[in-house]
Amino acid sequence: MITFKLNGQTVQGEEGQYIIQVAENHGVYIPTLCAHKTLEPAGMCRLCTVELFDGRRTKFVTACNYPIWEGMEVQTDTETVHEGRKLIVEMLMARCADVPVIRELAEKYGIEKPRFEQEHETCILCGLCTRICERMGNNAITLTDRGLDLKVDTPFHVQTDICQACGACAFMCPTGHITLDKINELITANKPQIIKSEYDVGLRGRKPIYVPYPQAVPNTPVIDRDVCMHFKTGGCQICSDICPVNAIDHSMEDETIELEVGSVILAPGFEPFDPSSLDFYNYDHPNVITSMEMERMLSASGPTGGHLIRLSDHQEPKKIAWLQCVGSRDMNRCNNAYCSSVCCMYAIKEAVIAKEHAGDALDCSIFYMDMRTPGKDFEKFYESARNNSGVNFVRSRVHTINPVAGSDELELRYVSDNGEILTDQFDLVVLSIGLQIPPELVEMSRNLGIELSPGNFCETNTFTPVATSREGIFACGAFQGPKDIPQSVIDSSAAASAAAEILSDSRNTRTKEKEIVPERNVGGERPRIGVFVCRCGINIAGVVDVPAVVEYASTLPFVEYVDDNLFSCSQDTQENMAAIIEEKGLNRIVVAACTPKTHEPLFQETLTDAGLNKYLFEMTNIRNQDSWVHKNNPALATEKARDLVRMAVAKVARMEPLKESELSVNPAAMVVGGGISGMAAAKSLADQGIETHLVEQTDHLGGQAVNLYHTAKGESVAENLENLISQVKSHDKIKLHLNTQIQNVDGFVGNFKTIMLENDQEVELEHGAAVLATGASPYEPAEYAYGQDQRILTSLELDRKFQKEDPGLEKINSAAFIQCVGSREPGRMYCSRVCCTHSIENAIELKKRNPEMNVYILYRDIRTYGEKEYLYKQARQQGVIFIRYSLEDKPSVEVKDDSIAITVTDHILNRPVELNVDLLTLATAIIPCKDEELANFFKVPMNEDGFFIERHAKLGPAEFATDGVFLCGMAHYPKPIDESIAQAKAAVARAITLLSRQYIYSSGTIAEVDPVNCAACGVCVAVCPYSAPSFAEEGRFAGKAQINPALCKGCGLCVASCRSGAIHLKGFDTDQIMYQIFEMDEAI
Amino acid sequence: MKNLLEHMGVEPERLHFSWISSAESTKFVDVATKVTESVKSLESKEKKFVKTKPKVA
Amino acid sequence: MADKEPKILSFLCNWCSYGAADLAGVSRMEYPSNIRVIRIPCTGRMSPKFILAALRQGADAVWVSG
Repeated sequence: MITFKLNGQTVQGEEGQYIIQVAENHGVYIPTLCAHKTLEPAGMCRLCTVELFDGRRTKFVTACNYPIWEGMEVQTDTETVHEGRKLIVEMLMARCADVPVIRELAEKYGIEKPRFEQEHETCILCGLCTRICERMGNNAITLTDRGLDLKVDTPFHVQTDICQACGACAFMCPTGHITLDKINELITANKPQIIKSEYDVGLRGRKPIYVPYPQAVPNTPVIDRDVCMHFKTGGCQICSDICPVNAIDHSMEDETIELEVGSVILAPGFEPFDPSSLDFYNYDHPNVITSMEMERMLSASGPTGGHLIRLSDHQEPKKIAWLQCVGSRDMNRCNNAYCSSVCCMYAIKEAVIAKEHAGDALDCSIFYMDMRTPGKDFEKFYESARNNSGVNFVRSRVHTINPVAGSDELELRYVSDNGEILTDQFDLVVLSIGLQIPPELVEMSRNLGIELSPGNFCETNTFTPVATSREGIFACGAFQGPKDIPQSVIDSSAAASAAAEILSDSRNTRTKEKEIVPERNVGGERPRIGVFVCRCGINIAGVVDVPAVVEYASTLPFVEYVDDNLFSCSQDTQENMAAIIEEKGLNRIVVAACTPKTHEPLFQETLTDAGLNKYLFEMTNIRNQDSWVHKNNPALATEKARDLVRMAVAKVARMEPLKESELSVNPAAMVVGGGISGMAAAKSLADQGIETHLVEQTDHLGGQAVNLYHTAKGESVAENLENLISQVKSHDKIKLHLNTQIQNVDGFVGNFKTIMLENDQEVELEHGAAVLATGASPYEPAEYAYGQDQRILTSLELDRKFQKEDPGLEKINSAAFIQCVGSREPGRMYCSRVCCTHSIENAIELKKRNPEMNVYILYRDIRTYGEKEYLYKQARQQGVIFIRYSLEDKPSVEVKDDSIAITVTDHILNRPVELNVDLLTLATAIIPCKDEELANFFKVPMNEDGFFIERHAKLGPAEFATDGVFLCGMAHYPKPIDESIAQAKAAVARAITLLSRQYIYSSGTIAEVDPVNCAACGVCVAVCPYSAPSFAEEGRFAGKAQINPALCKGCGLCVASCRSGAIHLKGFDTDQIMYQIFEMDEAI
Repeated sequence: MKNLLEHMGVEPERLHFSWISSAESTKFVDVATKVTESVKSLESKEKKFVKTKPKVA
Repeated sequence: MADKEPKILSFLCNWCSYGAADLAGVSRMEYPSNIRVIRIPCTGRMSPKFILAALRQGADAVWVSG
């Protein structure tokens, strides 16, 4: 340490520091134009000149590059210094009158007009650019010539490729003398390029060091070696100088890591189709964008802040068109014959959101071939987009997008439904691009030895939907086929389950037990609060005056210890905190740092490690909700931090140790429903070692699948079903309960008790979890003359005929299918998902038996999503005739002696045609079994159609909001066999996370009734959405309310509604919140 | 609640309710700004209502 | 206590608005610094008593957000 005097004050600095650095640390401002913390000082501008007294005489030195020494005396702003600086500024002002920084300085020093000859230069010769260029390892620019001709230039004034166009000089230049344009024009032979943000699909730039996207896990920056200057020149490394924890190591190399695993799950995803190869779409036009770019633009955190613009002139568009099937359902132009499954839905969503953003006046049109919205609740969304949001749907495949000469508009030419050629102009055209597998993944699959489908997706079988062709390797997500989020989430859980099935024996063999520190009893102790204020590097300390907050916190009541940490969450700090808690005997802890939503569990663990109950803790958010959002107002941010710390201290002083009640888990499962889903779930559970009870109301297994003939991939359903049934029947962990009805369900997660009537005998079953796979049944049509003639069948009845090889099939010369019978119409506004594929499959089967047969399919939209699209194509190639009808103009059916006569308006001829066929198949809707009693037993919700409502439409598709209850199969939504089995496995994966544990712990922050004050009014019982409160049936407080800790989610609804004040929410109790309120304002 | 406040002589503008999902950071900022502004516009009035510290919760 | 700035006490639902406030920070947005936050598990926890107590305590306004 070196001690010296700065403006009369005694200050200290490190050996080797310069005057200006020490001055800055002590809040003394010294002006400079040429110093920068990342560069060695050069003393170029002389503005930082200060007065130095060395004991004998006074001299003038530049503070930026004069090292400190013991006993020196520095004056930074004497009259002489000031006059000297004023002269320098005056001369700079004469040279560069138009440069804003110089004008500002001139104003500060009171110079209106310099006394010298006025020039209009922009370079002040500070040398920051040449020094940063040197630091970057380039030396492309230097100060050339001498004296009056001194200037920044390349040697010999030639453009070379030595300059890498990194732009560091332009970034450093304080006057704006160097610009990227000038670099391009005069300095470099390379092309300066913006580094495009991959996440924002090129709509925004990013740095060579970057966090790929805000939600990235881990949320750690990475260095892009391809653009980082250090990896080009060996220079720079400024980042490692600046990083306060020395986390950056440029010498790190890629490592090859070998892991020994029992199973591999592939989830490599897909790539969006790149439309630049399709020249007729003019994707290089700024107003032709992809749906991914549109997504980013609509995002509030996106490149335009959620503001919808067109890129040519940044004006709000008035008219937008979406073109569907770009890079999908197209063999001629891109070789992707499959349907990408997700684009129809996302286009509708984007159109609706765009209209929400821009108002009703925005004209949104979607050009499509078939509108494919076969997902859960998608059809309703489509209807609402058309009827309520006013999105236009135009059935046409647009061939070309033409820019309109002389404007930013785009012209679309398309053929209307009745053959008319129309043109229309739009401000913005969105290409709904499809999903495809990139070549790297094809290569990877080849290396792994797994088979791919014709569309290069991972090949799987219908009955093993996540298993690849190589044993032990599983696949999920869009790599297995184009699919949306819910389906991907289902698949991923299913893959986890499939892997766990084969690894069941080794479960828990590599886990380590954590050492448990006994909890210290703090009862009776007065609060001894420890406050830890986090600097979070500069994230907090850069705005909030952390030392001031620390000092303030130490004055608060009951606070025994306060400290600040550079990074409170780092491991060494955690260990240090635990040591301090023990050493100082602290019994309440406040951490003022980032958000409790991410870091509370971490600090609570530290408390536990220090032997403190983890609820003796409060975290207050001085980063996300303070320093980050008030960065331009450090004083107010510091005041807010003080208030927040005070409120947290007030609360924590009133915190009590809370107990998490321990609940044992009964490691047995009940599966309700003996169809394919139920059996698949039961088998997966049993394969993972879980005692499983399969409950079926009929006398046989198989459900609706017994009626099915072939899968969409041509596998025999009967064969595979028989196989599954025999596996289920012979499994020693599965107990079958046929002819069984559920009478009552009691209990909760981990401990259910179900009363059933099995063959008229009452049976009681105890289980820890339940999977509901109650399935669905076909709609019994009243329309299209069904039931009046044997030649009119439902899809399942036709399958039955195929199964039995009905001789009548031989005599058929013409057949028709009517789609959407009972689906997609008022009262049943959902798509039954499987019927298009099913009918097409059967049409092909009929054609196979008799190629001369006339086969018609009467449809509204053909929804052969994913690779099922190949079947649609095959059917058309084989001469199956597709005739579209509309909901308003349904076909009519008349039974005649020699045929069934169907009258339908042909959409091309636009007039009615009559078809006479020998067989009419009605593709009837799928109707859930809608067992309200069962739903009630398990307290699980159902939608208006009677399908169960899952915990989360996207992220919790195989479980209920009620803990311990899971769902799969058609009880959730109509779906084909592969998706049903995948969901069954997914439900099992979720159930196993519960059943593989011996105990579960309820949260400590739950509500508790004080029975003495309870008036037994029942309001809490009525308001609780989780059915946690009930009336005690026995004991001293019979009749009073009690709350089941296993069911309570700690929302506090009952606490607020309790009229007697008898319910307390532990951890958020009334007095705790009240004291936070009281401490909101400085104590009076 | 607002009626009750008005009855007590407190401007209803001093109480705000909103519903913001965890993804709607922009909305949060908008509402936070609006709430602050609406309160600031009331500032001409006498500021604090009661200055006594309550004894117990 | 010469603060001219009004103080607004906000009760934010842990799952909704508190998350939005966190995200606003992550996105480095800016808003006035008059707001003091009390995190509650759910707006169901809100009680009129809290609002009255806050106003009595000198809060210039109360903002409840779910």
